Amino acid sequence: MSRELSVVGKRLPRVDAVEKATGIANFTGDIKLPNLLVGKVLRSPYPHAKIVKIDTSKAKDLPGVETVITLQDIVPRKAFLGSYGELPIIAYGAQPHLADQYILTNKARFVGDPIAAVAATSESVAREALGLIEVQYEKLPAVYDVEEAIKPDAPKIHDHCDNNIAMHWISPLSKGDVERGFKEADCIVEETFRTTKQVHCHIEPAAAIASFDVLGRLIVWSQCQQPHPARRQLAYLLDLPVGKVRVITPFVGGSFGGRNGLNPELIAVALAKVVSRPVKVEYTKEEDFHAVNNRSAFVYTAKLGFKKDGRLTAIRIKALVNSGAYLCRTTTATSVFMGNCLEGAYRCPNKLGEANIVYTNLTPSGSCRGMGNPEAMWGIEQLVDIAAEKLGIDAVELRLKNLKEIGEPSYVGLPIESLALRDCIKLGAEKIGWSEKRVKKSKETKRRGIGVAIMTHNCGAQPILVAHSGAYIKLNEDGSINLIAHPDEAGTGMWGTSAQIAAEELGINIEDVHITYGDTDTTMFDIGSIASGKSYIFGNAVKGAAREVKRQLLERAAKMLGTSPYDLDIKDRRIYVKVAPKKAISIAEVAHDAIYDLNMEGIDIAGTCSYQGTTASPPNQAVFAEVEIDLEIGRVNILRLVIANDCGIMINPMTVEGQLEGGAAMGIGYCLYENPIISKETGKLITDSFETYKIPSVLDMPEVEIIPVEEPDPIGPYGNKGVGESASVAMAPAIANGVYDAIGVRVTELPITPEKVIAALEAKQKRKPEQSNTR
Amino acid sequence: MQKQTAKFLINGKSYELVIEPNITLLELLREELGLTGTKYGCGIGQCGSCTVLVDCKPTLSCLTLAVTGQNRSILTIEGLSEGNILHPIQKAFVDHGAIQCGFCTPGMIMTAKALLDKNYLPTKEEVKVALSGNLCRCTGYVKIIDAVLAAAEMIRKGDKLE
Repeated sequence: MSRELSVVGKRLPRVDAVEKATGIANFTGDIKLPNLLVGKVLRSPYPHAKIVKIDTSKAKDLPGVETVITLQDIVPRKAFLGSYGELPIIAYGAQPHLADQYILTNKARFVGDPIAAVAATSESVAREALGLIEVQYEKLPAVYDVEEAIKPDAPKIHDHCDNNIAMHWISPLSKGDVERGFKEADCIVEETFRTTKQVHCHIEPAAAIASFDVLGRLIVWSQCQQPHPARRQLAYLLDLPVGKVRVITPFVGGSFGGRNGLNPELIAVALAKVVSRPVKVEYTKEEDFHAVNNRSAFVYTAKLGFKKDGRLTAIRIKALVNSGAYLCRTTTATSVFMGNCLEGAYRCPNKLGEANIVYTNLTPSGSCRGMGNPEAMWGIEQLVDIAAEKLGIDAVELRLKNLKEIGEPSYVGLPIESLALRDCIKLGAEKIGWSEKRVKKSKETKRRGIGVAIMTHNCGAQPILVAHSGAYIKLNEDGSINLIAHPDEAGTGMWGTSAQIAAEELGINIEDVHITYGDTDTTMFDIGSIASGKSYIFGNAVKGAAREVKRQLLERAAKMLGTSPYDLDIKDRRIYVKVAPKKAISIAEVAHDAIYDLNMEGIDIAGTCSYQGTTASPPNQAVFAEVEIDLEIGRVNILRLVIANDCGIMINPMTVEGQLEGGAAMGIGYCLYENPIISKETGKLITDSFETYKIPSVLDMPEVEIIPVEEPDPIGPYGNKGVGESASVAMAPAIANGVYDAIGVRVTELPITPEKVIAALEAKQKRKPEQSNTR
Repeated sequence: MQKQTAKFLINGKSYELVIEPNITLLELLREELGLTGTKYGCGIGQCGSCTVLVDCKPTLSCLTLAVTGQNRSILTIEGLSEGNILHPIQKAFVDHGAIQCGFCTPGMIMTAKALLDKNYLPTKEEVKVALSGNLCRCTGYVKIIDAVLAAAEMIRKGDKLE
């Protein structure tokens, strides 16, 4: 790009920041409508139970209660409710007949499974009504571990599958001959890894409002990250034509994948269909923990084979995936997991990936930041370190040796368009002081170490899932534009990013971009905020729409200036003749002239663009963590984090940094603090509040040093690639590798708690008592 | 429950309301007065999103009975800016990229205000300790700390509005 950029690349404040700083930004819970009812959900207190009888009569008779519903009061359609429909499932071989969830269940399969719902005139009446619903349960034995759930005598959770195996899947990325690959290997490493059902913990609780208007159209205020697909899912579940459903998106208090599917919306629409008033459903924070789908959990054995020069010869993965009580989005997570295990950053000729997706009586597993990649890198990146030690090759060198190059296939099958991972690794290693700090060690009770982990991801879900977004720009007579689209502002900064792209393309200022958004009635189809693809796919849609507006502008201006459009360009809100810049006209003048034309040549200059992702521009990252372990209490303290990040050219560096810092926090929580604990007696998630389930507070964050490696991508708008999920992928293995470097013990089960560190140290001491004071 | 009349002074304005004595200050602000800038994040005092200032003290409004707010001066996020002019803390949050989803922001800003009103020369550690009761899932806190320190600088230089 030869032209100097005036808006893109600048650290501009986000366009929605002032509204949020003053408290006037409307989130779903802030919206007030006339005649609004409060909806509340009766949830199963048992992990597994038949529902013998439900008596709602007492609840219905309570003054202030408008309705009480159960499954028999709604259209009994099954769906993958945590997903936007069957599409992501079919892509991985599952069939629509595996759709397994009703809006309200007729059999309780996890603590929190929705059984009935109430709409009442106030919060307190609704709560009281819930207490009056009489449910007769027949308790059944429950199972929570995947290894237990697949045993022949395990309780059967769904009628349609044996041994609770929802799907057995061999990854289509399997290729070559792994047996031969392992025979050829000089060094084989194998280990079993376990990850957790991390909870998203978006601060804003799940909430939705549903209302039918006088024409029978359904309007839903939804936090869903994918409003257009959500519309289709809601239409299907209520047996309505899609065109009769309208989804409006207010500001959303964080998503991280937790709002990928539908949850409170389902209750709200089911209630709204029965009463003739709008219904608002707001979850308590406790409901957020129990009822909102969380991260899929994996138990997997990974085996890698290397030649003695460090080249990978074989990869084999065998995984059990904890889907919780319903299939939700586990199949997508499994495929991303497998994709990054087998076909991630490294080149390998022989690979085999096998997964069993298993039902358990836990909260259903959905999407969570990274979508299977953090789970994959937890194991793969630790195994690479184990191999490096066995081979006697430096851990950074071993990674560099096996990196793919541009043009090789990414895990989605498309060739990689841009790749700066090598630079990320080298620059990160230099910054953390890799060579100096890997040799040492002290013999004190506080020991330091450094670890590395790398990652690659996808940017958009093409070609596996639907991956296109649309944008519509219209020009106002004052030279400003309305960008009518779905940037989905849940904190990712897409409002600002898209405004910067539009402003750059049109030679206007960011204040000239008015974002009109969040309504499926006015915006073109947009797949939504998934797969780190928004800035890339939607960004290109915005750029395309702006380019069309520019074309029309120059055409009109050319007539007004008596020249050809090819002689013109736009800068600083002025359209000027390239060779004689003083001959110019303002955008506002042209826009006004077009609209208020009296020569029968009136036009509202506008442009649309529907952009389909067709290429793979994966973001990449190398993370280096310097840790200090207190041997006496087993606590891991992160001293420094160096994140070398390749996301192409940054549209807004401040926004990118924010995503990386936030993603780092989420990765640190996943690694060290966030420990979802299920009671084996009750099947309940005991850690169901911020007090017991610890997400990092400001005191838990180390110094974060970001090295942006800006190598332009040929396809992304202005050379940009995605970044939303990157930072939470490699954090955990980098820390785990640092722990091993410090104290010679490896924790393979998340999270790395002080108890596990102490236990590992004690086990190590038992094995080699004479070396207890050395590494 | 028998409703009662209660008087409040919120953001410099007087209100006389008829309320149930068991409602929280958070419910009073959001439901009775439509001041929805203060957020319900957890309702049990663990996330800090509901933080307002009661007699200049950062207070979890979800754990505070509304009636105990009588005869006290209450400041919410809506009372911080003057018309279109942002308070230095708000401006710093905007300029330093300290806001992502924005849900924890009002609580963070009010807590920061309480800190800077008492101590306009905080160290980084002091800022961290002051904000340790406000959870954020988006930002990793890095730019929030930067913003509070920058706001302190602005206030020291006399950009203070009050």
